[in-house]
Amino acid sequence: MEEPIEGEHQQHLTLVTRKSCFGLPTACPSCLPVYIYLKLANVPFDLCYNLTFPDSDQIPYVDSDTYVAYNNEKGGVIESLKEDNIVNLDSDVQDLPEWVSTIAMINSWLSDAMLYELWVGSDGSSAHKIYYSDLPWPIGKVLYLKQVYTVKQLLGISKDNAERREEEIYRRATIAYKALSTRLGEDSFFSDNRPTSLDAIFLGHALVTLYALPETSVLRGKLLEQPNLVIYADKHKAQLLDVASSSSSDPSSSIPRRGPSNWSSKPKSQPKRERTQEEKFFRRKAKYFLITQMVAVLVFLSLLGGSDDTEADDADGDEGFDYE
Amino acid sequence: MAKEDTPITELEQDDEEDDFDDEDDEQEDEEEEEEEEEEPVLTPESRKRAERARMEETFHRISSETVPLRVHDVLIKGNKKTKESLIESEIEALKTANSVQELLQAAAIANARLQKLDVFDSVNITLDSGPPELPGTCNVIVQVLETKNPITGDIGIFTKPEARSWSFEGSLKLKNLFGYGDLWDGSLSYGWDQTSEVSAGVSLPRFMRLFTPVMARISLLSQDWLKFSSYKERSLGLSLGLLSTKNHDLAYNLSWRTLTDPSQMASESIRRQLGHGLLSHLKYTFKIDRRNSPLRPTRGFAFVAASQVGGIFPDYRSLRFVRQEFDIRYALPLGFARAALNFGIAGGVLFPWGSEFMNKPTTLPDRFFLGGNSSPVCTLGGPTSLLGFKTRGLGPSEPKREVKKSSEDTNSDTCERDFLGGDLATTAFADLSFDLPLKVLRDSNIHAHAFACAGSLTKITENSFRDFSFQKYRDSFRCSAGFGLIVPTKLFRMEVNYCHILRQHEHDQAKTGVQFSFSSPL
Repeated sequence: MEEPIEGEHQQHLTLVTRKSCFGLPTACPSCLPVYIYLKLANVPFDLCYNLTFPDSDQIPYVDSDTYVAYNNEKGGVIESLKEDNIVNLDSDVQDLPEWVSTIAMINSWLSDAMLYELWVGSDGSSAHKIYYSDLPWPIGKVLYLKQVYTVKQLLGISKDNAERREEEIYRRATIAYKALSTRLGEDSFFSDNRPTSLDAIFLGHALVTLYALPETSVLRGKLLEQPNLVIYADKHKAQLLDVASSSSSDPSSSIPRRGPSNWSSKPKSQPKRERTQEEKFFRRKAKYFLITQMVAVLVFLSLLGGSDDTEADDADGDEGFDYE
Repeated sequence: MAKEDTPITELEQDDEEDDFDDEDDEQEDEEEEEEEEEEPVLTPESRKRAERARMEETFHRISSETVPLRVHDVLIKGNKKTKESLIESEIEALKTANSVQELLQAAAIANARLQKLDVFDSVNITLDSGPPELPGTCNVIVQVLETKNPITGDIGIFTKPEARSWSFEGSLKLKNLFGYGDLWDGSLSYGWDQTSEVSAGVSLPRFMRLFTPVMARISLLSQDWLKFSSYKERSLGLSLGLLSTKNHDLAYNLSWRTLTDPSQMASESIRRQLGHGLLSHLKYTFKIDRRNSPLRPTRGFAFVAASQVGGIFPDYRSLRFVRQEFDIRYALPLGFARAALNFGIAGGVLFPWGSEFMNKPTTLPDRFFLGGNSSPVCTLGGPTSLLGFKTRGLGPSEPKREVKKSSEDTNSDTCERDFLGGDLATTAFADLSFDLPLKVLRDSNIHAHAFACAGSLTKITENSFRDFSFQKYRDSFRCSAGFGLIVPTKLFRMEVNYCHILRQHEHDQAKTGVQFSFSSPL
């Protein structure tokens, strides 16, 4: 790991992100890269959550006393941290054209695909969990609809071109994944076996794609087609998990609220998730089974009771008849 | 009540001719018989005189003894749009009157209540004789004239020299749209760099079986606190006035509140509070004001207590807090030069509730803020004013974000601070007002005053109360004293004061010197 390049700001940093879910410290596609960047740089920092401002472009931000690096300034938090000489992992590579173009590709094509997948291409359940689960119902709902509208505007999706745009977005994502896969090969990092912000940005994207998007997601399927990228993401996830769990006693480093079990690598967590899905399905089935059993017993009892009565009636009738 | 007097007189004449002769009063019968006998001989003048005498006697009788009388029927006339049930409910008391005296009193009250609905141009209540076969009864005729033009509007531009700002305000009122005495209004107020509000409301004089007026209001409010606390507040809300009487007021408010910081300069505590929140609170206010004037009180007392509970309904994720404030005023006349000593003490406390409430901060806009140049004598309703200190100019504060634009101006923004408000606020003041020995000033009610005020604003949440001590609390007080001239007008009270700051803390914004202040008791 790279030693942090510390400038004049020696104070303790605090990263403010959206909430932790899906076994990730934060499942927001713009917050996770910053978290990973700080982790890769081995900088101690606190993690705070802002649960009430899903539509803010200021989040994520890193602050330290009166210093703040906002997401909506100077090209994002990572760029601000670099510019202000607080954490810079890219000093050797930031002028290389291939490196810059790869960053640009992730920030445009893959980030568009992620936007599409979260807000338009899925049922919105992931987006709801990441952004709105802590907001009161009407506010969460209204903000979700507003965001869907904004994303459609941003991606230029209308009723007429929806299918074509979707195709285009996924095509670009496939190209990007293939290119990244070729570039990475079997290396541990994208450039010269040392972490840069490119790794942080791609890992952020890949981990959200793999863990936060639903299993039916097209984008997730496209990423799974590139096994080396998946292995790369899982390896770093496990390393970050190790860092997070080993420093759990350290109060300066924050731990995601979920336990380490969620931090296991993908091949392990995948069947577990399936099992829970299956469990759910079985439970539902069991419920139906019990209900039908109950109904059957009730029907049986009522029929039996009814037949008893009729029998008794008949008997009475018979008796009456006999008497007569 | 002038409108009412004439018809009542008519009533008395009618009674004399029709009703009273049926009463079990032999004396009166005799008089009338005599009158009938004499009638052909009488000249019009003497007849008038006799009538007057009879009227005087009747008045005398009404004033000296109880005259039994029952209301047979109530006729409502002139209401084209207004529902009869509304008018009937306002004049209910008339039907149960048992004597002329009670009836007159009930008629006066009913008239006032109908006028108060604000949907009639005029209201006349006439008491007429009942049917001849039912002696001792009368009919009540309520004649109303509905407002011809149901739309009224106001427009104006208001300036606040103290805050160096001005605002544009306009309102449109629609009366009695559905005939239930319903008042609809829409208002717009736009303040440059300050507060803007668009709101629409409806008020009903009565709803279902509730006896008090019910009010509902939707409003979109935008407040700019960037200068003082680096945030903007926007709130879209619905408020319902559930109970409103002279002393009690119960209101429910549901609003979606958003705090943003477009300047991106907020301090850490403010930054952490930005976002959306659902505010759902119930507020009960008890108010009693026995002072002789809200602008220049010289006698009497006033008390206000307001309790607010937030986070009750409908979502468990709405903002949870309890806010309690009180304000006590007393005016003591000194007996010379209309001098009076006013003193008051106000306090407020705010606390969150729910899980982990001990560690949670309170929400920013609900906190108490002190300062501003409004007169403490005038503003009744909680701890707000402390003369000599600027608006939101004291209490807990934090440095704003530091932005270095270039290496030259490193110290440019370092002194700016955000005021965060407090959870525990206390203010106290004493004010001695007296007339000046100039007749011109005395006639126009311009008077002088000398005052002293003290106030404290502290944080008690997020476990701060653990370090709370009496010594610390005493040290947190800021004081100022001064004197000045007061010009009361019909609408507001203007003060020109010289204010001396006796005690302030390091980051407080206070100034010793001459200050202008405008305050309205409304």
